[in-house]
Amino acid sequence: MNAPVAPDPLRPWPDTVAWRPISARYFLVRLAVLGVWVLILTLAALAAAVLWSAWCYAAAVAIVTGGALRAVFLRRSIRAWGYAERAEDLLVRHGLLVRRLSIVPYARMQFVDVTAGPIERAAGLATVTLHTAAAASDATVPGLEAAEATRLRDRLAALGEIREEGL
Amino acid sequence: MTEPLTLPRQRLHPLTPLVRGAKLVALAAVAVSWRGLSDLGLLHWLIAMVVVLVGAVLVSAVVWAVTGYEVVGRELRVHEGLLSRRVRTIPLERVQAIDVVRPALARVFGLAELRLEVIGGSKAEAPLAYLTVAGATELRASLLGLATGAAPAAPDDERPLFTVDNRRLLLAQVLTPQLLAVPVGAAFVIWPALAHPDWTLIGAASTITAFLGVFQVPVRRVLDEWDFHIADDTAALRVRQGLLNKRSQSVPPRRVQGVKLTWPLLWRPAGWARARMDVAGYGGDGDEQLRAGTLVPVAAASDAASVAASVLAEAVIAAPVDVTALPVSRPPSRARWLGPWSWSRIGVAVTDDVVVVREGVLTREVVAVPLARVQSVRVVQGPLQRALSLATVTVDTAGGLTATARLRDAQDAYHLAGDLAARSRAARHTFAARLAAAAPAPAPSPSPTAAFEFPAPGQ
Repeated sequence: MNAPVAPDPLRPWPDTVAWRPISARYFLVRLAVLGVWVLILTLAALAAAVLWSAWCYAAAVAIVTGGALRAVFLRRSIRAWGYAERAEDLLVRHGLLVRRLSIVPYARMQFVDVTAGPIERAAGLATVTLHTAAAASDATVPGLEAAEATRLRDRLAALGEIREEGL
Repeated sequence: MTEPLTLPRQRLHPLTPLVRGAKLVALAAVAVSWRGLSDLGLLHWLIAMVVVLVGAVLVSAVVWAVTGYEVVGRELRVHEGLLSRRVRTIPLERVQAIDVVRPALARVFGLAELRLEVIGGSKAEAPLAYLTVAGATELRASLLGLATGAAPAAPDDERPLFTVDNRRLLLAQVLTPQLLAVPVGAAFVIWPALAHPDWTLIGAASTITAFLGVFQVPVRRVLDEWDFHIADDTAALRVRQGLLNKRSQSVPPRRVQGVKLTWPLLWRPAGWARARMDVAGYGGDGDEQLRAGTLVPVAAASDAASVAASVLAEAVIAAPVDVTALPVSRPPSRARWLGPWSWSRIGVAVTDDVVVVREGVLTREVVAVPLARVQSVRVVQGPLQRALSLATVTVDTAGGLTATARLRDAQDAYHLAGDLAARSRAARHTFAARLAAAAPAPAPSPSPTAAFEFPAPGQ
């Protein structure tokens, strides 16, 4: 751990806030999604190369290389996700290149969404999104274990109800 | 519980189909344009317009016949539709602002439109078009009473806050970047007229119409903000404005999500500024946004600041603070790498009630957001900012306004975000306490007495 002079943007307030990571299995989900996209785009590029111009082989190589690079960074970017429930607000941080931290008070919650795509569902994961009246608010926690997602949703809903102030 | 308050279902004003039809004809005339007029000839053009008018009036008459509104308890219900029926129910506690708009065409018939601004609606929800002017005004007073829980104010206990000087408004709109287009536009009209003697009147008219597009924003501003008055009574801020389309808005001060003061470059020699307020219902498209939240169209900077201060003071129920005079904390000097001109101008200030952000080099801006209205706080750090150990702190509100403090020292930024979250939590509690203290005789559910007698519009 560094001296307190240089805060780690990935883990602000390490002393007072208990950051929770998201499920490691979310890496596999993202990898699968990435793999499907790379496969589709590569096939399209190869088809174009056969039918149209040999230059498209280069595009196929570029797509595969790009996909591989993304896969390398994916693990770290999954680790960059974190959330913490404080007494009055929810903290969410994510992003590797552009690092983001959102602080959303429970009192401002309008509604909570729990979503799960087909691949997420197969992995037993879900995404919880807390919506406020501000369109720009960014409080999405992906890759939660189904049980944890339900717990978080219920807790958010309960806290929001107690502190409900509308606007 | 109190007996539910009701206004029986009624129709809009019977002249509504005629006004709507006339509006459609105006739109059709624009669509056909000058070229269409010259192609069709005047007679055919007139016939076409009459056909459009009759058709539009017939359709509007059917729409009018099936449209109705009623007030049940604390809800406004609007019934619409012939084949697929729709009943929209608007809980009045959720209403952010109520406008009475009188478009030029409706003014001819002495009619007005009532618009309710609700959060989440992309445009004004359930516009009641058209009612009589008196009917709309009275209905608004009653709805506003239900929305805020306050007794409807008598029209004469208004406290005027600001009135625009119309000459200054004109001059200010001349001093906009569009001014630079005038010589170009004039050249485009005059040059072909000299070069080609057969240049027709219609050609010239088309060119002029096209160039009017360039001046749309300043011309609209003049038309919309003419005779701008803002006043304040017990229940709401009252804004009245407009030359052709008259608009009268009522915004409960607690619904103000933020205030923005702007000093455009060309106004700086004159020392003028303008101010806007942000209200959650006025999201909508740019056009609506342009008109809706004006607080001061143009005034000496100190006057604009004092109006903004008094609106903010009412929004948080505290003493007015001049947000432009607050000492701001500036970014560190290494921020000059990312904002060579702006780094010494921008800054952020936080008090117990508001967060204030200063922005801009050419067009200077000050954004003030009451801490009690903050929806969320974000810290964003891009790769360049990380290399310099800088970060951006953004405060989101329910309106379109965000207060963004750029180029903060990274450690400061996280500290500021934590501080803002804590202070906005405290401000919410203080605000709730002040609100309770401000209403010593609470009237949470207004009783259905004579104070809420509904007018019968449509006469």
